[in-house]
Amino acid sequence: MSGGAAAWIGRGGLALLGAALLAVPFVLPELGYGFWVNIVTEILIWSLLAASVNLLFGYVGLLSFGQALFFGFGMYGATLAVIHWEAGFWTGLLAGTLAATAMAAVAGALAVRLTWHYFAIITVVFSLIFYFAAMSNKTLTGGDDGLSFSAPAVFDMAGVTVTLADPLAQYFSVLGVVAACYAIMGVVVRSPLGLAFAAVRENDRRARLIGIDVYRTRLVAFVLAGALAGVSGALFAFFGRYASASYMVYHVSGEAVVWAIVGGIGTLLGPLFGTALLIVFRELVSTVWENYLFAVGGLTVLVVMFAPLGLAGLWRGALGRLTAPRAAPAEAPADPVAPSADARAVPGGR
Amino acid sequence: MEPAIALETRGLTKRFGGLVAVDGVSFSLRSGRVNAIIGPNGAGKTTLFNLVTGELRPDDGEVLAAGVPITGLPPHRIVREGVSRTLQIKSVFGGLTVADNVRAAVMAHQGIRSAFRPAASYRAVGERVDALIDEVGLARHRDRKASALSYGDVALLELALALAAEPKLLLLDEPVCGMGPEETERAVARIRAVASKVDVVIIEHDMEVVFSLASHIVVMASGAILAEGTPDEISRDPRVQEAYLGAPEDDE
Ligand SMILES: Nc1ncnc2c1ncn2[C@@H]1O[C@H](COP(=O)(O)OP(=O)(O)OP(=O)(O)O)[C@@H](O)[C@H]1O
Ligand SMILES: [Mg+2]
Repeated sequence: MSGGAAAWIGRGGLALLGAALLAVPFVLPELGYGFWVNIVTEILIWSLLAASVNLLFGYVGLLSFGQALFFGFGMYGATLAVIHWEAGFWTGLLAGTLAATAMAAVAGALAVRLTWHYFAIITVVFSLIFYFAAMSNKTLTGGDDGLSFSAPAVFDMAGVTVTLADPLAQYFSVLGVVAACYAIMGVVVRSPLGLAFAAVRENDRRARLIGIDVYRTRLVAFVLAGALAGVSGALFAFFGRYASASYMVYHVSGEAVVWAIVGGIGTLLGPLFGTALLIVFRELVSTVWENYLFAVGGLTVLVVMFAPLGLAGLWRGALGRLTAPRAAPAEAPADPVAPSADARAVPGGR
Repeated sequence: MEPAIALETRGLTKRFGGLVAVDGVSFSLRSGRVNAIIGPNGAGKTTLFNLVTGELRPDDGEVLAAGVPITGLPPHRIVREGVSRTLQIKSVFGGLTVADNVRAAVMAHQGIRSAFRPAASYRAVGERVDALIDEVGLARHRDRKASALSYGDVALLELALALAAEPKLLLLDEPVCGMGPEETERAVARIRAVASKVDVVIIEHDMEVVFSLASHIVVMASGAILAEGTPDEISRDPRVQEAYLGAPEDDE
């Protein structure tokens, strides 16, 4: 069947992507593009923040403009653990993730009582409060200037110490963590919990009437998304060896929303492609034009206008046409995680 | 012995601002027969269902399902007490396939919430899903998205979602509204089959459907009970005729 063929092409594409990512730190420097290894690393890290927006918006139907808050908690959790407890990479990552998760549990307990624009507004309010708190509490956070630290160990055993200063160790640590996050997300969205997410996104009233605790389901998603954003923030702290309150500002949240939408809401890897496209575009254009943000905005508008389901939607459409040339194109493949357009167009009324 | 009671309300009241949508409604609907609630538009029938299923909180009064007080419980808890419903405006999960619609409902009912196993890998759930889809006659559409179904099929899917919770009491809000004659006939047959196993309370404007299904009828007008009795008694009641003639009727 064509669905099978599409699945195989999809798997092939995934394998190709994996191989390309594994080859990056070996091939790009050979070609004289060593600098781009860092860009790819940055894309991987930021894509998790976009993935966290996508988990909420694409899978449960909640649009958050405050994910930078949890990014910031991940960043500071990791940084403070390194500075005060001499934590290594993994402990710092854990500390950052836990800090973000705890914050998400607290913020979520309030925020997910609301839906649609009320929800979006409260996420902004939360992140603003903590942004200003972090900016003014210079002794703890370093405020705008931030806190810096030197590259911690990734591996320290049997007398062998490898730190993040080793470019390969840094790249593969980040790639490993990011790949694990996507793998976990892939499992979760296909699970019974993921199906409950989809039910809540599609129709929260009907979800209640089949016995789903909508509040709890949204809260679980919110905490998971907070954890993802926390991992992203912790990785970014390790990548830059510093944390700054300036990353908790709502521009950062907004950018993540744009990356997720451009990449394709409600698809697992869409946020990765959206983030990649816009960061690469920014790198290319910013060297030749200082008002490159206009170009980024223009590109975003183009994608949203001509590919409302994002890059992932384009890819699916192409796959569909390739593998089913004579079938009606309207019927999307049976995919429990693909949201319907109308589910997101209407407010989640109560 | 007293006959078993499927649904009882005591002085149930709901106000919207100055409007009393449900006004001190008390009734006892017996188990083992189809009960119908009829009444002109705006009589408060749907609001009454909303009070029973916990989607609205009553300002006053009590609801008991099979003798168990359920007043004030949230909707997802009331489903667990064995009360399911369909909505006047048919309501399913549009972006999901028919099978996933039903799967979500079966899993919610069975309390399956794992985050790690693929939802499609639960064998027993899958069998239950297929049985429910067969029961409402949607096997042909199993893998189609719900948003691609015809109106009548959406109504049948919604019925499957309601049945997935293995309810003792099923509330149907205008189940044949908007259907053509053929779809209506199909739906009525399904409802009759379901009613042999589950207590059914039906809100319906189509009198032919009401009279063919129900053996007990409650008539509501302006939030209150106007009359109650067998179809025969109701059809002869002058107050009922007046209520229907006095208010504009859009069906028939
Ligand atoms: N959420 C609400 N807020 C305010 N008023 C409401 C609300 N729900 C219902 N009403 C009002 O309460 C009254 C009863 O409405 P309800 O929907 O229960 O009537 P109904 O008997 O189901 O009518 P129909 O046969 O048209 O479906 C109407 O006047 C309606 O406008
Ligand atoms: Mg109604």
